[in-house]
Amino acid sequence: MSWVQDWTAHSQYLVMRLVLTLPTLLLLLVVPASCGRYDDFDDGEDLAEFDDNDFAEFEDMSEDRALEEEEEEEDSTPSPRPTASVGDEEDDEAVVELEDSHDDFEDAETPDEDIKYDTEEFEGFEKSNPSSKDPINILTVPAHLQNSWESYYMEILMVTGLLAYIMNYIIGKNKNHRLAQAWFNSHRELLESNFALVGDDGTSMEAVSTGKLNQENEHIYNLWCSGRVCCEGMLIQLKFLKRQDLLNVLARMMRPACDQVQIKVTLNDEDMDTFVFAVGNRKAMARLQKEMQDLSEFCSDKPKSGAKYGLPEFLAILSEMGEVSDGMMDSKMVHYLINHADKIESIHYSDQFSGPKLMQEEGQPLKLPETKKTLLFTFNVPGMGNTSPKDMDTLLPLMNMVIYSIDKVKKFRLNREGKLKADKNRARVEENFLKQTHAQRQEAAQTRREEKKRAEKERIMNEEDPERQRRLEEAAQRREQKKLEKKQMKMKQIKVKAM
Amino acid sequence: MSSNSMSDPRRQNKILRYKPPSSDSNPAMEDPTPDYMNLLGMIFSMCGLMLKLKWCAWIAVYCSFISFANSRSSEDTKQMMSSFMLSISAVVMSYLQNPQPMSPPW
Repeated sequence: MSWVQDWTAHSQYLVMRLVLTLPTLLLLLVVPASCGRYDDFDDGEDLAEFDDNDFAEFEDMSEDRALEEEEEEEDSTPSPRPTASVGDEEDDEAVVELEDSHDDFEDAETPDEDIKYDTEEFEGFEKSNPSSKDPINILTVPAHLQNSWESYYMEILMVTGLLAYIMNYIIGKNKNHRLAQAWFNSHRELLESNFALVGDDGTSMEAVSTGKLNQENEHIYNLWCSGRVCCEGMLIQLKFLKRQDLLNVLARMMRPACDQVQIKVTLNDEDMDTFVFAVGNRKAMARLQKEMQDLSEFCSDKPKSGAKYGLPEFLAILSEMGEVSDGMMDSKMVHYLINHADKIESIHYSDQFSGPKLMQEEGQPLKLPETKKTLLFTFNVPGMGNTSPKDMDTLLPLMNMVIYSIDKVKKFRLNREGKLKADKNRARVEENFLKQTHAQRQEAAQTRREEKKRAEKERIMNEEDPERQRRLEEAAQRREQKKLEKKQMKMKQIKVKAM
Repeated sequence: MSSNSMSDPRRQNKILRYKPPSSDSNPAMEDPTPDYMNLLGMIFSMCGLMLKLKWCAWIAVYCSFISFANSRSSEDTKQMMSSFMLSISAVVMSYLQNPQPMSPPW
């Protein structure tokens, strides 16, 4: 754990600091002390003239220097003070002796003092000497106490990364916005000539065209158009790539993807006959067939090639019956498909559209999902991610195709055979669904019945008035009897019929 | 382009208001990235604060930025701001407690 290391490094650092300061403190203490001792000898005496011999401090420098020097030269060994004792010896031998002995005694003392002083003088130095014998540890100052930013290079890297992310966010957001605006500018006229309401976010009180795209996200823009013959409304979603997220940008370098325009036209019941049909590139068709509820139920065959109608090889068709394909693939449609095949991801017409297959959670849903007559178009913006606003103009013919399809679907009607087949298909699907959920629905009905009985019983129990209780019980009993009788009657009838 | 020749296909009386489809749509269809990143950011910033790991705190900052970039406009800004502030505070606390720089793992 790095925090343990940090803590131990910190504590080691503190200990070393203490250890280093101790000698310096001692040095500081010793120096004034030794200076004090030196002061004792300073009065009129030259420091440089101190000798190591025992008489050094008692030598009278100012008066008898010549005498002393002579005496010293004669006496190399430590001997009693020579100074004035020469004259005294003749007169007072005893005194001299005493003095000598006294001197001896004194002299005996002084060497010790001298030595003591000497040692005390140099006490600090002696003590400091051993430390110089230890190996010198040069410690590195912890990085955060150094006055350099270089040691923080990881932090600088992180901050730079964050700044790069922010820059990419701003650039990506602006690019998406510009692309959306370019698309809208090129399509605005067409939409406004076809729809009474162009642009609505659902919040305003009146149905007034906002004339603007509705920004849902930094990469998704919506536009709702309504007020036209043949359809209820059209929702256009510009699903751009997530250019504002740096992670996504990097992921896209591995796996290229493109911006998409998704158009969903919802129709009234009278606007469309009953059929299910899809055309698009093969991969998309395979995926849709697995994912979409209605395609998987009604178009069970594998995607067929559209070569019969002259479509390029990579486009495939899923349809409920051949008549529908023939009806949809008229010349103008084929013309559109051939010219803009690279931009078409999928086109899906359905009167039973209910969205993708719901993931089954506990069991299957008890009701058939709600269906709506819808036309779905998914177009790929050319450029594979590196689109420029100019590319949006190339999508304009596709919008023309959408408008044309709306009108066409309104006009298209199945002939009698086709209608019969279509109805049969729908009935079959419904039956299958009911069968699958039969067991579950029974269970649900059973539980509901149980609940009702239990609730009634509880009500009877909770009635405080004994009279009312009795009456309610009787009523319940009568009801049960009636039910039993009815059942018996039914059984009898069935038996009779069987016979 | 128009259904009848020369006539305007627009019908003022057939206008339908826009209903945001989010109420019906499968929540699984929506992009889960901002929610995951929010959660990750909080976990990392908690780790960074409790265990005093500087790199956790930095990753938390990145997570909250990514969550912000991917967020839907309908989402609460309060949650975004709170996760952002939490990650910033994790970074600051890690550096106050231990001012030494991060050491790379290599």
